[in-house]
Amino acid sequence: MSPVNKSEHGLSRRNYWRSLEQLENSPEFQRWAQAEFPEGLSEVISPVTRRSFLSLMGASMALAGLSGCIRRPEEHILPYSKAPEDIIPGIPNFYATAYPHSGFGVGVVVESHEGRPTKIEGNPQHPFSLGATDVFTQASVLNLYDPDRLTSYVSGGQAITRSAFVDQLRSKVSELKTRQGAGLRFLSGLSTSPTLEALSAQLSQSLPQAVWHTYEPVSLENAVAGGHLAFGQAVIPTYQLDKADVILALDCDFMGTEPGSVLYGRQWSRRRGNDGASTPTNRLYAVEGIFSITGAMADHRLRLPSSHVDGFIRALGAQLSSQGLSLPSELQMALEPHRTHPFDARWVSALSAELLAARGKSVIMVGSAQPASVHALAHALNASLENVGQSVQYSPAPIGVASVANPDTGLTGLVAALRQNQVETLVILGGNPGYDAPADLELATLIKNVPTSIRLGSHQDETALACKLVVPQSHYLEMWSDVRALDGTASIVQPLIEPLYDSMSELELLSHFVDGASNRGYELVRAQWQTALGTLDFEKRWRRMLHEGVIADVAAPPVQVVLNGASIGAGLAQKEMPQLSLQNLELRFVTDARVFDGRFANNGWLQELPDPMTKLTWDNAALISPRTARELAVKRGDMVSLKYRDRTLEMPVWPMPGMADYVVAVSLGYGRTHSGRIGTGTGFNAYLLRDSSAPYFDAGLVSTRTGGTHLLATSQEHGSMENRPLVLEATVDEYQKNPRFAQEAVEHPPLRSVFTEHEYVGQQWGMTINLNVCTGCSTCVVACQAENNIPVVGKERVLRGREMHWIRIDRYFAGDEETAEAVQQPMMCQQCQNAPCEPVCPVAATVHSRDGGLNDMVYNRCIGTRYCSNNCPFKVRRFNFFNYHEDFTEIEKMQQNPDVTVRMRGVMEKCTYCLQRINSARRQMKLSGAARIPDGTITPACAQACPVDAIVFGDVNDPESRVSRLKARDMNYALLAELNVKPRTSYLARLRNPNPELG
Amino acid sequence: MDNQRPPMEGEPRRRPTGYLFPAWTNKIATAALTGILVMGGVVTFVVWYYFSPKHTDVGYQPVQPVPYSHKLHAGDLGIDCRYCHTNVEKSAHATVPPTQTCMNCHVTIKKDSAALLPVRESFAKNIPVEWVKVHKIPDFAYFDHSRHVVRGVGCVECHGRVDQMEVVRQVQPLSMSWCLDCHRDPAPHLRPKEESVTQMDWKAPSDAASFGQDLVQKYNIHPPTDCSGCHR
Amino acid sequence: MSQESAVSALEPAPLVEGPQDFNTITEKVCSIVEAPTPLAWYVFFAIASGCASMLLFMLGYLVWTGIGVWGLNNPIGWGWDITNFVFWIGIGHAGTLISAILFLFRQKWRTSINRAAEAMTLFAVACALIFPGFHVGRIWVAYWMAPIPNQMGMWPNFRSPLLWDVFAVSTYGTVSLLFWYVGLVPDVATLRDRATSRIRAMVYGALALGWRGSNRHWHNYEKAYMLLAGLSTPLVLSVHTIVSFDFAVSVIPGWHTTIFPPYFVAGAIFSGFAMVLTLLVLCRQFFGLKELITMRHLENMNKIMLATGSMVGYAYAMEFFIAWYSANPYEKFVFINRAFGDYSWAYWTMVTCNVIIPQLFWFRSLRTSIPVMFVISILINVGMWFERFVIIATSLHRDFLPSSWAYYTPTWVEMCTFIGSFGLFFMLFLLFVRFLPMVAIAEVKGVLPTANPHPDHRELHAEAH
Repeated sequence: MSPVNKSEHGLSRRNYWRSLEQLENSPEFQRWAQAEFPEGLSEVISPVTRRSFLSLMGASMALAGLSGCIRRPEEHILPYSKAPEDIIPGIPNFYATAYPHSGFGVGVVVESHEGRPTKIEGNPQHPFSLGATDVFTQASVLNLYDPDRLTSYVSGGQAITRSAFVDQLRSKVSELKTRQGAGLRFLSGLSTSPTLEALSAQLSQSLPQAVWHTYEPVSLENAVAGGHLAFGQAVIPTYQLDKADVILALDCDFMGTEPGSVLYGRQWSRRRGNDGASTPTNRLYAVEGIFSITGAMADHRLRLPSSHVDGFIRALGAQLSSQGLSLPSELQMALEPHRTHPFDARWVSALSAELLAARGKSVIMVGSAQPASVHALAHALNASLENVGQSVQYSPAPIGVASVANPDTGLTGLVAALRQNQVETLVILGGNPGYDAPADLELATLIKNVPTSIRLGSHQDETALACKLVVPQSHYLEMWSDVRALDGTASIVQPLIEPLYDSMSELELLSHFVDGASNRGYELVRAQWQTALGTLDFEKRWRRMLHEGVIADVAAPPVQVVLNGASIGAGLAQKEMPQLSLQNLELRFVTDARVFDGRFANNGWLQELPDPMTKLTWDNAALISPRTARELAVKRGDMVSLKYRDRTLEMPVWPMPGMADYVVAVSLGYGRTHSGRIGTGTGFNAYLLRDSSAPYFDAGLVSTRTGGTHLLATSQEHGSMENRPLVLEATVDEYQKNPRFAQEAVEHPPLRSVFTEHEYVGQQWGMTINLNVCTGCSTCVVACQAENNIPVVGKERVLRGREMHWIRIDRYFAGDEETAEAVQQPMMCQQCQNAPCEPVCPVAATVHSRDGGLNDMVYNRCIGTRYCSNNCPFKVRRFNFFNYHEDFTEIEKMQQNPDVTVRMRGVMEKCTYCLQRINSARRQMKLSGAARIPDGTITPACAQACPVDAIVFGDVNDPESRVSRLKARDMNYALLAELNVKPRTSYLARLRNPNPELG
Repeated sequence: MDNQRPPMEGEPRRRPTGYLFPAWTNKIATAALTGILVMGGVVTFVVWYYFSPKHTDVGYQPVQPVPYSHKLHAGDLGIDCRYCHTNVEKSAHATVPPTQTCMNCHVTIKKDSAALLPVRESFAKNIPVEWVKVHKIPDFAYFDHSRHVVRGVGCVECHGRVDQMEVVRQVQPLSMSWCLDCHRDPAPHLRPKEESVTQMDWKAPSDAASFGQDLVQKYNIHPPTDCSGCHR
Repeated sequence: MSQESAVSALEPAPLVEGPQDFNTITEKVCSIVEAPTPLAWYVFFAIASGCASMLLFMLGYLVWTGIGVWGLNNPIGWGWDITNFVFWIGIGHAGTLISAILFLFRQKWRTSINRAAEAMTLFAVACALIFPGFHVGRIWVAYWMAPIPNQMGMWPNFRSPLLWDVFAVSTYGTVSLLFWYVGLVPDVATLRDRATSRIRAMVYGALALGWRGSNRHWHNYEKAYMLLAGLSTPLVLSVHTIVSFDFAVSVIPGWHTTIFPPYFVAGAIFSGFAMVLTLLVLCRQFFGLKELITMRHLENMNKIMLATGSMVGYAYAMEFFIAWYSANPYEKFVFINRAFGDYSWAYWTMVTCNVIIPQLFWFRSLRTSIPVMFVISILINVGMWFERFVIIATSLHRDFLPSSWAYYTPTWVEMCTFIGSFGLFFMLFLLFVRFLPMVAIAEVKGVLPTANPHPDHRELHAEAH
């Protein structure tokens, strides 16, 4: 990285060339943007020369749009003093790194403008993400520029310098050394960093008495425990869903919030037509209590409370063995009693028949919420179905994961020690246990009693407030580290920018305990891999792994596993399924699709992102089935008090079609008390109900209506499609009977335009969106927001219906509210060929472009009549009702993409197909002298981010381009074609692949 | 009308003041009309001429922190533009050179000239020299140097004879319609790739328009005239 | 006797009642302007100008803060702003209609009401222009809608109905102003000649453009008046036709309707007459003009309202028929949604006020009852405001994609702005009645029996009594 010099106000500012972006971000511009007129007037006070006076007149004449000719304020160019060779001002650099998400790495490529990382893209080279990303990866860049980040070291509430802290630490460490580290405890979030593992190993040398605890609010501990039961070793299952014909997801949202979802979604989508086949070639069965996006994509979905899933898989196992699947004898015996079960017998038998038919080509996936026994049984069934080695593989569980599962090294172990005052020094690395530990442990108060508590964290959050010493934590884009993906693939985490504040990474802090020296992360990581890979032409390999973002050929080979039927059978001790009722509701904790476990609470993009299923923003709610709602006599927004064991929480309810009855699903991560200006006070803190004995779900919840109500902001009020041909779908049979069902969905007279239509010349851009695979995960929405400087407007304005997202994902329910089916449809500007918005604009601010054939929106010409939006049949235009960039801090401005104009108030905006990317590709073409842009060169942010590859962009004038071939498919259809608007974006109709026997 | 009618009986007598406008007031109407016409003309002219970038922007010549003379360096010494503006062919920005570049020569030449003090300080303290921007286009117009230079548009087309300027000043309005003039008819502004774009006094061998027309064909030059060509 | 009474029963009521001659009429009208200002005027003026200044503050706040201070949202890009625009423009129709079209049709009864009606037109147009002017997001560049040569080399988009509006309304405003002023000249001259103070004499003198009432003046005046009448007649129809294009030209179900032009014009005349009636009923009460603005005038206007009201009602029905007949699901839905959706309250208010209530005018007794017609005229304007709101808001709030459906409620800013526009309107009207003759003196004299040089038998007969 090139040198960075610190400016007085602490935040690191490169003295980079500041031109377009400088103007956008400079306070002068901001003032100008708010009121360019006063800006000019202030000139009058200063002695007026003829020139300045006339240019002022020019200004007042020209005003906003023409202010190109206002030479106010005087602009300065600040060139580098000594230029770094790797930066050409105006041309972004891309660096490969990895984003550690709750311990596991997602391979990413980060776009950097003059040293400011602005956008995260997936890294296609990474074997366990294949270029896919999720909302968290996309939004993670915003955390770097979070204005509420901790900027200095804190000791007892007082800010201290880094050196002062280091001195304190040194003395502490030497003191600890004297007593072998007795009384020293570490508590960290899950980490798979090999360097960290190495350091903690060294730690156990230098401070043998120290104990390391790991806690993740939501993690794989059950799966690992299940692995222990089944195979007697610490393993994590990974799946090759593209090899699976039949997939059974048991309470497992593997396209959403489960670890590995990024890859699994993509693998699954390959078998839904993305591989070129005209119809889906796999079948997905989902069994779940909540309505997850995975459930919405399933071909068959069974509503079951999470607490009944155990019974279900036993029943399935019994059914399988009765249908001739050979299981270990103990297991078979244990399953005997479950031949009779309360579940839909037809469903179970059909399913087991399919699984048997697809031996070696089926998968049974179990969600991390399910207990070890269920995982173990799933492991056993997968093994017996010969899936292991085919569609299921096992990789060694990282030490961290194993220790989460292990009670001694988990959180409970620490709490026990704290309660007995055995802890003298507690070092909390990352995470936020003070907030997200189960309520019964009362961790926060226990931490307060620890004599010396050191907290490494990015914010002055709930945990930090309980600690004596607080160390600002580096963002992953600021630090050197390394991380493993779920399957063990390791990547180097390399910084794109010097720490904005004088912060530390986990490694850097830890190294103080190891050898007291304050090593830079770079040295630590490099040393680690040098030892791991040997010095033989290490430099070359090092550069390669940095360049590719993946450390080739060091992934551990799949673990060979041997079933231990006895222990599994033992795990299946006879146990009654809870009988749920109004007096005995099931409380289900779910990972939130936006703020995850709370770590993204202060991320505006994610707070405002509508939940994929509920379309709820800025809040979480208690989700219940409509029937349960009726029986509880509550409606949307009514406050209920949830009483579980001796704890209660008041929360608004949200009736959710398709949910299992008598289940109350609450998502974690809201109700933060100290997260920052964005996250504090949004939603309701479900951790207050969480109990360490039943962290994911439990019966015994009672809900009573308080009489109060709470305003819930949703981005989509109306969930029914009103029988309009919007999302077209059919079963595979129907499709085979009439392959043209999508085109024939609407009949209309021949269409003629009153205006002469635009001709197709040169390269004409278009897009297809494959509804067959689109899960509605909303990654594209966040990617678009990051790429296009789209503002966050806040809950009140969402309530008013003023959210600014260029992509709206329409979620419609079908069928009855019990067995509801849901469909998702991303809706952005369709770039109509005959765009209704164009003729109505009085100032020609939205017009059709000749090359490209796009529907241009010219912000600086727009006067804001909103006529275009009124006349847009898709209602995809967004109006800047206020100046949303007004109160941006300098730090926040650093995220902005300099290639996209920051819109001022009073102008309309909309999806541009990422014009800036099209233009840079065209620029490349012109510079190289090529005649046309090759297919696949341009990837809009949404398409790049899409984990299931549902969005394809390209030249519709070239019959060979990928998009043209997709548009040629018979399930391709244009929305509202009968209006003769000729959208450039078309949709591929959705095909469901139901089991004929359940048909 | 009343004013011709003799008063009738019983009507209350009122004494009309009978104010009469002086004779000159008759001229007011005509005077006003002509006045409006003339003023209209004047206003139109003032707006058209004085408010146009041609007047407000052309000739802008701010004082720079360092009295750097393009005439001396580019003109007399004949240093190629690209020696300092290195990225002009690669990037949207031509880029003002880093202090380093100045120091390449000025460590030896005029190494204690007072005029160069800011440069030496900048180099020593690693702080940028704050040059004042001369050629400014609004931030919503995305101009790309490389695209133009590589396609054979000479520096002189937009920047004028910089090699003759002691202090750089703006010679072209850089207004939207000015850009469009060239985008609609690029021919007269093109030169062959063999010729150097930085040569300030380059003249087309034959009539520029027809000569350029061949180049338009040869390099298949289609400057965008869509809004999205420059605005995003 | 009995025979005579029978005959007189057949005769149309006279246009001017009571024993009137040229002088009494002059006296009656001019005295309103010349008499000392009544206290009531000050009171009303204070209220009106107060509201007007509130309008000023609201607009300032809007421009300073952003359109967000209004209740608009993503699907509903236009709300009260454009509703008020169409509402005021509609009201601005009666004046020119009465003066121009009735003039061309030789409807003598127009004489005593046309002046006030025209004035009202101008003030309504002034109020109307505020809304399209201020509803834009960046008003400081609104002038881009005007075809002014500029350094961008950009022209406005002449395809846009909004641009047509700009031209249509401004033309209409200008012509109406001229028409009104030309009509004023002789009467202003009268005021000039009667002026007792120097200032009045000078001001009215200046306004009278040196009118001496010579034969030649009258000759040219009549010609000019006739020409302007001919000129503004098509405008009366064109303005609201073009305003209706804002909606008719779009693709949104509920807007995309070919019946709009005639339907809008009818509605405009409807609301215009209602407003004229509201004002005149008050004026003739306050200023004792009962003999000039007679029951016959009022009754005629009520008849016109009955007619236009029924036309509007027909249009409503026809919209539903077409929605059904078109077999277009979106079109169908919009109208069902209007009548039974979230905004049905607005729809039924509209129907009641515009279609049902005016039917009372079938009864002569109600048609000629001052209080009844006053109340009804106000209700009609309420209804007509709701008509525009229903067309704009309900069509937008639920169009093609249910996912984008939303509801719109105005903020206090919008409401105060609307009230403020009424303040402006009444302020201007009060100034008018105070300083200008609100009845066309010269013209009314023209319809006096004595003005007829060749009385036929019947008139002589009438004279005898």
